[in-house]
Amino acid sequence: MLHRRTFLGSLAAGVSGTALLGSIAPASAQAANERIRKIVILSDPQSASPQAFQAAQLTAQAWRQLGLEVEVRPLPRQQQSQIVWYERERWDTTMWRMVGRPERSDPDELIYNLFHSSTARAGFNFVGYNNPDYDRIAEQQRQATNQEQRRALVQQAQTMIDRDQPYAFLVHPFNIGAFNKTIWDPASIVTQSGVGIRNFWTFIGASPLTAQKTMVLNARFTVIAVHPLYVSGATDSWITDLIWDRLARVGPDGLPRPWAAEKIEWKDEKTIEATIRTGMKWHDGQPVTADDVVFSFQAPAQGDKVPMYRPFVADIERVEKAGDNLVRFHLKQPNASFVTSSLAKINLVPKHVWEPVMRDIANRPENIEQIRDPSTIGSGPFKMVRARLNEEIVLDKFADHWAAPKMDRWILRIIPNPEATIGMLRRAELNFLADYGGDPEVLEQLAREVPAIQVSKETDIGFEFVAFNNRRAPFNDPAFRRALSQALDRNVMVNAAWNGFAVTANSHVSPSLRFWHAAAVDNMQTGVALARQTLQQAGYRVSGNRLYYPAGRTETLQPGE
Amino acid sequence: MKFIGQRLFHSLFVLWAVVTILFLMFRLMPGNPLAAYISEALSEEDQASIMRQFGLDRPLWEQYFIYLGNLLRGELGLSFHQRTPVWEIVMSVFPNTLVLVATGLIVAYIFGIIAGAFLAWKRGTWIEAVTIPVVLGTRAAPELWVGMVLLAILSFNLGWFPSGGANSAGAFYDSELQRFLSPDFLAHLALPALTLALYLQGIPLLLMRSTMLDVMHEDFVTMARMKGLSEWRIVIRHAARNALLPVVTAFAISFGQIVGGNVVVETVFSWPGLGRLLVAAVSNSDYPLAQGAFLLVSVVLVVMNFVADVIYTLLDPRVSHARVA
Amino acid sequence: MPASLESTAAVPAPSRRSRFLRTLARAAAVPGRDPFAIVGLTIYLVFLLVALFADHLASRDPLEILFQANGRLARNLPPSSDFLLGTTHLGRDIYSQLIYGTRAALIVGVTAAIAVMIIGTLVGLVSGYFGGWIDSLLMRLADIALSIPFLPFVIVLTAFLRPSTWNIVLAVAILLWPNTARVIRSQVLTVRERAYVEAARVTGAGNGRILFVHVAPNILPLSFLYGSIAIGWAILTEASVSFLGFGDPDVVSWGYMLQDAFVSQALSRGSYHWFVPPGICIVLVVVAGFFVSRGYEEVLFPKLRD
Repeated sequence: MLHRRTFLGSLAAGVSGTALLGSIAPASAQAANERIRKIVILSDPQSASPQAFQAAQLTAQAWRQLGLEVEVRPLPRQQQSQIVWYERERWDTTMWRMVGRPERSDPDELIYNLFHSSTARAGFNFVGYNNPDYDRIAEQQRQATNQEQRRALVQQAQTMIDRDQPYAFLVHPFNIGAFNKTIWDPASIVTQSGVGIRNFWTFIGASPLTAQKTMVLNARFTVIAVHPLYVSGATDSWITDLIWDRLARVGPDGLPRPWAAEKIEWKDEKTIEATIRTGMKWHDGQPVTADDVVFSFQAPAQGDKVPMYRPFVADIERVEKAGDNLVRFHLKQPNASFVTSSLAKINLVPKHVWEPVMRDIANRPENIEQIRDPSTIGSGPFKMVRARLNEEIVLDKFADHWAAPKMDRWILRIIPNPEATIGMLRRAELNFLADYGGDPEVLEQLAREVPAIQVSKETDIGFEFVAFNNRRAPFNDPAFRRALSQALDRNVMVNAAWNGFAVTANSHVSPSLRFWHAAAVDNMQTGVALARQTLQQAGYRVSGNRLYYPAGRTETLQPGE
Repeated sequence: MKFIGQRLFHSLFVLWAVVTILFLMFRLMPGNPLAAYISEALSEEDQASIMRQFGLDRPLWEQYFIYLGNLLRGELGLSFHQRTPVWEIVMSVFPNTLVLVATGLIVAYIFGIIAGAFLAWKRGTWIEAVTIPVVLGTRAAPELWVGMVLLAILSFNLGWFPSGGANSAGAFYDSELQRFLSPDFLAHLALPALTLALYLQGIPLLLMRSTMLDVMHEDFVTMARMKGLSEWRIVIRHAARNALLPVVTAFAISFGQIVGGNVVVETVFSWPGLGRLLVAAVSNSDYPLAQGAFLLVSVVLVVMNFVADVIYTLLDPRVSHARVA
Repeated sequence: MPASLESTAAVPAPSRRSRFLRTLARAAAVPGRDPFAIVGLTIYLVFLLVALFADHLASRDPLEILFQANGRLARNLPPSSDFLLGTTHLGRDIYSQLIYGTRAALIVGVTAAIAVMIIGTLVGLVSGYFGGWIDSLLMRLADIALSIPFLPFVIVLTAFLRPSTWNIVLAVAILLWPNTARVIRSQVLTVRERAYVEAARVTGAGNGRILFVHVAPNILPLSFLYGSIAIGWAILTEASVSFLGFGDPDVVSWGYMLQDAFVSQALSRGSYHWFVPPGICIVLVVVAGFFVSRGYEEVLFPKLRD
């Protein structure tokens, strides 16, 4: 109904479309069935993610200049997941994102899961990328215990992905946070690489400057469960992180460091020992023992009762108590990321609380996710006071902890709406902005008006991208994917979609992981002219401003099918 | 009494129908309800076991009877996401909605009744000419927009009111009553209640005004006037008596409708109530929770319609004739 | 009902036709007598013209992404001669969105009103005329429809089917017909006892003919009255549903604009030029419906007032 006018943005800058179009291919002899069908881009609706929605529109504009017919189809999250994640077959392209988490500071999870062919059917490789060379590298890096050797492999994997473009990576967004610097000493707020200021180290280290010793922070999404064996919602892990300790934790530098273990030592390629810190207590006053630790690593392996954590202990052949304070792990195979992906991931739980629960559940159809934590007792630096999952979670410091926090109380407020969040920050109803989905410009404006507010920005480990369905034509052709990716000016994406609060991306390993990131893939050349050239070289033809398959290939699918 | 029994039976029938429609709506919609569980850890077996867990693998009619049986036992099931009983989640926010709706309605009706009487008295003057369009205008204004404007001016710009939520961080009270009476809660309540009241005041105002106008033309008023009694006092007394019936009925019906229609105001003001819960549950595809919230809203609606019916009968015995004529 | 209208023409029944014409004439004369109705009709007319000529009035495609001369996105610009109401956070022209929003509002409002009118009138006619079990059945259905919470139902329906304008119209039609049906029914109850209906029955006219030829013309104005109220309801509903994020993402409506402004933090920015105009437009259209129906109610159905 609305007629679209031609798009004259900077995407087209410097390119005279018709001149090039005329030169590409002879404008004859294309049968109608060789024409590429209308391409559909699935996207979040504008309300859910204005940035992704805008990026989808910009992408469509750019691709239309290549002679493609493009439709942007915003879908609610659930329908999008249904088509893209569960059915896997019936889509062309979609806007998607991988979120940053501290444990993704080790590249293994993203290197292996995203593109290894074994995860293509039901796992993370939802685009169906299938490359035996890549598979081999992904497996090798996992087992390489030599850091330098592993780094070379991880970088090689990135180069390969750069060549094949299974995704068109767009940006690594900035992680935006803020705090009230008249209440919290700025020197005590820790920025964790790739994650930002909302992290474990800030929460135990933040020192109050005044009598106000309560941190009030926000979350956008409802907490789904406070549970050491089931983490589901985006917000859940912030809380479990504080209540339950782990043998190791990912430090501000992105590397794992011993935590509840005093010392972690590789005995050989497949054996690792953890010496537990002495004098630790559970929140109910009982001591933390080696038996508790052994139990904590055994419980997730019990049948299929703990689906969420089972993958993280899958590599453990056997775990045993080797002394009063010594726990020994025997692995099935060498695993370079074991400390990050298992020791820094598994919550230590009190055996006296959970053993009866696990025994009881063994004979029932439920799994642990249906059972509420009977006590919420951990050994971490904070303890639970009360939880109203849709409204607020209140934690108090656990004074008996060996690294007890400097604040007295930690209150997490669930506020879905960015307007209200900004309003509360302005009125000092919040003194720490932990989760912000709104426009960063508004926040910076607020910081100019209210000098007490300090804003922080940190490049995220996560990234946003356009995913191609690698299973089906024309996206099964790496040259075609490459051309489509080249058509997107990433700087325009950063400015026009992310409002300048992002950096361009072309790798699944964020530049914030300096050690692992392959600088060679940065600065990918883009431009519509270049994209056209790539298409031409691969044999694609343009006629009457429409793009056709290379000679001999025909369209086999209906649009939007 | 017989009439009340009939109405009760009728209400139960309607309730059953609504419950059935709800069931069909939630079971027959397209898409996989498990799409909500997008997680790396879920294998196919896990998915199947969850299907079993929620009884989604049984035939539809069997699910229906299980569902009815559960409802009769007050069993609303487990939330897909939170894995806690839906009843608990729903009940934890229900009081917030009730208080907001009740406050908004009471303010609207007190204002509307007084203003309606006043406007009837001022019939034919410029005050009426100006006020009536304004009243209709507020009735026509979308609550979400009124809320946005109030929020922009009174909270973001002037900073007089909190910008959302029902309580400040960490507020803790021994009882719900204490919480509702706390200054903190009342400050949070002010703007959403005002928005609601602005939207609702039109009904009682116009009802009161037209009843007053009718009364003013009746013979006994003229007679009373001749007897030298204060006209105003008589009009008020009779109008109040006549207006009571429609106003109280309208109050009851509005109450039932607003509990469900409050979704928008709760969203604008981040009010932790039933409406926002419902919207969040629908967007997250948490079907048991959405269904539970929807059911509670429907029950309130049916009950309040029943109450309105009963009030109408009790206060006005002519009801059965009046309707046919 | 084109068929029944044809048969109307074939029946020599001057008295009936003149009754209908008289009603129409009275309806046409309303604006002259009621200032409210004049204002209401004028507002309708203006918005109708804006909707019809939206293509010419709007300066841009409402969804076009606008860039400034320096290549940066034209976001959050204040009103200027170039952008009469400024631009949105994602660089769209607000004025053009407002203009096209009129079209969306009227489409939703009018189609929903027609649907409500048709269903409500048919049910009311059949129910009131035939009585008995048909009447009971239809009225129970009406009770049920009135006991389903309105907005939650619309939200769930649009979320489950597909966020589209037509599903909003569908939901409005499903839940809003009972009010019209009830009023029509009670009107039919009085009409069917009148002499001319009785006369038609005696002369052997069939039920269908009596219903559509003798009864329906008498209650049509009433259907239009309830239809005009439904316009406002549908527009308000569309705005609420869009605001909550269940609206049609491809259609620029006033509700879409308000939601866009809300999620883009126009409130914190104080961008009144963004979120005030769509609200005012909604108020004007809905209030026009109130004005018109008020005027007609007083003139056509003085008895209905109590």
